[in-house]
Amino acid sequence: MIRYLVRVVAANLRRAPSLYLLTIVGVALGVASVLTVQILNQSALAAFTGSVQAVSGEADLSVLGRTPTLPDSLYPAVLADPDVAGAWALSRTSVTLADRPDYFLDAVGVDFFAPIRIPFVTSRTGGPAVGATLANPAAVLATPGWTAVSPELATELDLAVGDTFTVTSGVRRARLKVGALVDFRRLTPLAGTRLIVLDLAQAQALLGEPGRIHQIDVRAVAGTELDALAGRLRETLGPGVDVLSPEQRTQRAEGLLAAFRLNLTALSLISVFVGLFLVYSATQASLVRRRAEFGLLRSLGATPRQVFAVIAVEVALLGALGVALGLPLGYWAARVNVEVVSATLTNLYLLDAIERLYVPRALFALAAAIGIGGAVAGALLPALDMSRRDTKTLLAAFTLHERLGSAALPLAGSGAALLAATGLWYVVGGHDWRGAGFVLAIALLAALPLGTPLLVQRLAALVRITDFGWRYSLRSLGVRLQTTAFAIAALGIAVSMLVGITLMIGSFRRTLEVWVNSSLRADVYITTPSWRGRSTEATLDSALAAALAALPGVRAVDRLRGFPGYTGERRIALAGVEMGIPYDDSHLPLLAGERTSALAAVHERGAVLISEPLARKTGLGLGDSLPLSVPTGERRFVVAGVYYDYSSEGGTVILSLPTLNAAFGAGPVNSIALYLAPGADAEATVDAIRARYPDTPLLLRSNRTLRAEVFTIFEQTFAITRMLQGMALLIAVTGITLTLLVLAHERLSELALYRALGAGTRQVFGIFVAEGIGMGALGLVLGGAGGMLLAAILILVINRAYFGWTIQVSVPLAALAWQAASLLAAAVAASLYPAFRASRTTAAELARDDV
Amino acid sequence: MCDRRRAPACRVAFAAMVVTALPADSQTPSWQPADSAYVWSFPRDHWSHAGYQTEWWYLTGHLTPVGDTAPRFGYQFTFFRVGLLPSGPELQSTWAASDLIMGHAALTDRRTGQHRFSELVYRATPLLGAFHPFPDTLLAWSRGPPGTGERWTLTWNGAAFNVAMRDTRARTGFALTTRPAKPLVFQGPNGFSRKGHGPTAASQYYSFTRLATRGTVVVDGDTLPVEGTSWMDKEFGSNQLGAGQVGWDWFSLHLDDGRELMLYVLRDSTGGVDYGRGTVVAGSGTVRFLTPADWTIDVRARWRSDATGAVYPARWRVRVPSAGLELDLEPVVANQENVSRLIADLAYWEGAVVVRDGRGAVIGRGYIELTGYAVLGRLPL
Repeated sequence: MIRYLVRVVAANLRRAPSLYLLTIVGVALGVASVLTVQILNQSALAAFTGSVQAVSGEADLSVLGRTPTLPDSLYPAVLADPDVAGAWALSRTSVTLADRPDYFLDAVGVDFFAPIRIPFVTSRTGGPAVGATLANPAAVLATPGWTAVSPELATELDLAVGDTFTVTSGVRRARLKVGALVDFRRLTPLAGTRLIVLDLAQAQALLGEPGRIHQIDVRAVAGTELDALAGRLRETLGPGVDVLSPEQRTQRAEGLLAAFRLNLTALSLISVFVGLFLVYSATQASLVRRRAEFGLLRSLGATPRQVFAVIAVEVALLGALGVALGLPLGYWAARVNVEVVSATLTNLYLLDAIERLYVPRALFALAAAIGIGGAVAGALLPALDMSRRDTKTLLAAFTLHERLGSAALPLAGSGAALLAATGLWYVVGGHDWRGAGFVLAIALLAALPLGTPLLVQRLAALVRITDFGWRYSLRSLGVRLQTTAFAIAALGIAVSMLVGITLMIGSFRRTLEVWVNSSLRADVYITTPSWRGRSTEATLDSALAAALAALPGVRAVDRLRGFPGYTGERRIALAGVEMGIPYDDSHLPLLAGERTSALAAVHERGAVLISEPLARKTGLGLGDSLPLSVPTGERRFVVAGVYYDYSSEGGTVILSLPTLNAAFGAGPVNSIALYLAPGADAEATVDAIRARYPDTPLLLRSNRTLRAEVFTIFEQTFAITRMLQGMALLIAVTGITLTLLVLAHERLSELALYRALGAGTRQVFGIFVAEGIGMGALGLVLGGAGGMLLAAILILVINRAYFGWTIQVSVPLAALAWQAASLLAAAVAASLYPAFRASRTTAAELARDDV
Repeated sequence: MCDRRRAPACRVAFAAMVVTALPADSQTPSWQPADSAYVWSFPRDHWSHAGYQTEWWYLTGHLTPVGDTAPRFGYQFTFFRVGLLPSGPELQSTWAASDLIMGHAALTDRRTGQHRFSELVYRATPLLGAFHPFPDTLLAWSRGPPGTGERWTLTWNGAAFNVAMRDTRARTGFALTTRPAKPLVFQGPNGFSRKGHGPTAASQYYSFTRLATRGTVVVDGDTLPVEGTSWMDKEFGSNQLGAGQVGWDWFSLHLDDGRELMLYVLRDSTGGVDYGRGTVVAGSGTVRFLTPADWTIDVRARWRSDATGAVYPARWRVRVPSAGLELDLEPVVANQENVSRLIADLAYWEGAVVVRDGRGAVIGRGYIELTGYAVLGRLPL
């Protein structure tokens, strides 16, 4: 049988390579989508896990602050616990290279004289891990700026031991000297290369703050009950800390990223779904043309089961080829997109950037299973159908289309019923469940193809044939339902996705524009380069802040101090704000609360404003009290308003700067915003500040630049979405080509008859192009309707449930029109080749008896 | 920072730091060498001496539970100051330090045959441990080992030293007060103790050779009042072992006739004597210095450590004819090896011995330190 299969596949490949090719392409694109997304998802987590393992690989538990830093006086208290076998204090500071402000390094301060192992290596190219031999260990303290860097970083920055490089932390510049090479990949392959290690004393003095650390890693005595130890440490150290195992820390990161990952996964599965249609159509087409072969097999004694097996194995083989193509494609797409996803992680989730892709082997297995399984699933119906037919039917003409034609109504009915039932479920109680939006989306995407045959049938029936032209083309779409309905449905789904996401992104962008216009009112924004790494140490010193505020032409100044904090177990961003302009002049857009009185409550009565995502996720609203973890425990703050915010998915809380300082201890601000006197030029002011403080690492942005940056981040965030959208569309357009090819083949005798009756090649060509356009148009109609519903689900249900922000619906007409036009153009392009093939049909084909 | 599956290797880096940290960086001011003309000033010189690279306070002794007739415990308490920098780094940090503080303590129980060793190493910062300046009576302190809440302390009681240590996990501890039964003696002329043939191969060295000791010992949760006799060595200097030296044998013996004997032998790689010096302190307190020509030491037995595989001398016959001494020395417990868990390859034998005469009668007690016997053995300092 294998020999038979090989021969058959080879023969068919020669006769109709396009059908095979399209199956392979369908599978490949689906596999690539899934693989890309999963690689990116895994890499995002691996980036975090890698940094945990590299720094805390030996730790059973880590003591972390619920406020940005911990007093190092907690360290002896940790050491004193009877179940602690060892403990290490660490500082973690995000710094940037002075000459490359967007190049972040994670500076880890360690106690080199504690018994910890640092994986020193001798040379950039690796060399043996020497571990032991720092020629002069006292240098870690004695040499100003002594730092160990990874071999990769040394190569990238062209540094050798003894070289210096300058980093910035807030407005501070620190000259670091490469004292040794350290390769954390010796400890964990996931370790990042942008980790630099210096002595805790140097880290505090040069980059951080004396007396403050970020983390204490703990190794427990063997056999210790870790939960009990964690509980006891929590009790001893007070309410300002969390005590977590490395697994728990990874789980937290997973939790933070859950919505992001789920959404990407869902999108990639849509691509698979669309790919399935393609496989279905291709298989259908391939089987139709080979029905005589199956008839022959059956008449030679093959059982239906054997016929089914032949088809299934063949499709599985094609699936495997698709997988072989899809795996490198998926990997490549992940590589292309890793930077934008990484930017999203750091911008939106305050997590570690992805330095490189992490591809567990299981992912390839998963993608392969999806590809081959998907191919077989897509071929299941046609294969079953073909294997069950008796010899006579197989060898006679086909009646497939009629069967679907008669099923069109019940199919559409079941689709409508599905939609109705899901809608009802959602209204009655489903909306309480977070994943309800996905159920709605799945129901919609399932109902869409179910309704397609009826739609095609009815619309085609409306067309009256007056000549052998485009009307004829449209009418025949309804006749060849079995073939066309699937292609149109696949296109419809892809278009739904395209339109849904376009609407969602367009609405989001418009909402963001409105928000940015009202929130970003100042003329010049000043912070430090390392602030973008959300380093708590990224501060402006107060003298500088005061000097900037006193610059000529500055009318008013807003000051902001921000750092991550906790409300309950939820990690949020805290912002202490001191407003320089009257409350009435602020345009902070509020969802709940009245602006002037809310701002007055924040600045005069210690109340807070919470962002919309936080309000949605916690269920807190106006007048409620919000608990915040402060160094002394927990303090509650009255919510004076809920404001629209799109900067952080986790949620943000605005306090007045004095309230923040009173609750968390005073500290310098991280950024200031200048309002200029009327007529002053923001760009000129930026230049003037730059000229005045040439050696101070400042990140200066005019209102215009900052806005542009907001939208760059926005585009980065949705880049991967757009790519998936494109992949689905590519699959769908491929489907049109395929369908037309199938049609051309199915109708060989019909076309030959037309040719015999005098139809010119041009006419036949035109008919096929018109059919392509017709399918494209039907796909558009279907997809347009589906897309609008999908957009509603995305905007109103999924976004709110997972991200928690309000998106004002806005229809980006131009973008949609452009997409419709290009889709139709793609449909034309996709029909050219089949049309060309069909037009070359000669009257002689009439003589063939295999059609 | 360390994969616990490979935990033994974790100690490697650190070992290098503590023990090879010692050569001074060319950029930093250099360490002060020992000086034969050093001007001593007591009690100030009991305190620490910044500028010298290494310094230690070393107490050993035999303790008898009150009410018992024979010593039951041998003890060792040591604070090492490991100089990282001759003067503190100019860093605004609570972790800036110019010294490490290393503590070693051991308690040998003749009744159970157990020898418990405890250790700690911290950078000397207000958070973890410190050497305080004169006249603060708290000379030095350190956090206990991980798992222990209590500090280890060395205090000046006006006449001599009090020491206290605790190790919760080893279920041991002691707190002892000492009083000089004899005055302080210099080891070597003016306390200038040569350790090799080079001109700077030396340390500043003095001892309280006989300290009446009282206090409490904690064993497995029982607190026992004890009394006994201790020996205290104090050394500071900036010199390393000579290139050919691989370790040393050190003897400090209290004889029942009121004399004390101290001998040290720095061995070369063949096991022979590279350098040695000794002191006999008469009952009256007068001191006579010895050179290797004045004594012979015969090793009569050896003991092999299961923990490190090291083979240590285990019985000795020491003859000092000029002092009329012929002594048989015998460990009270064979296994008194101190194996560091914090510093790789650091293992040495530091143990209580009884001194017998030629007829086997006990005529004294003492402590012996044997270093450089473990294969990759590092020296405590």
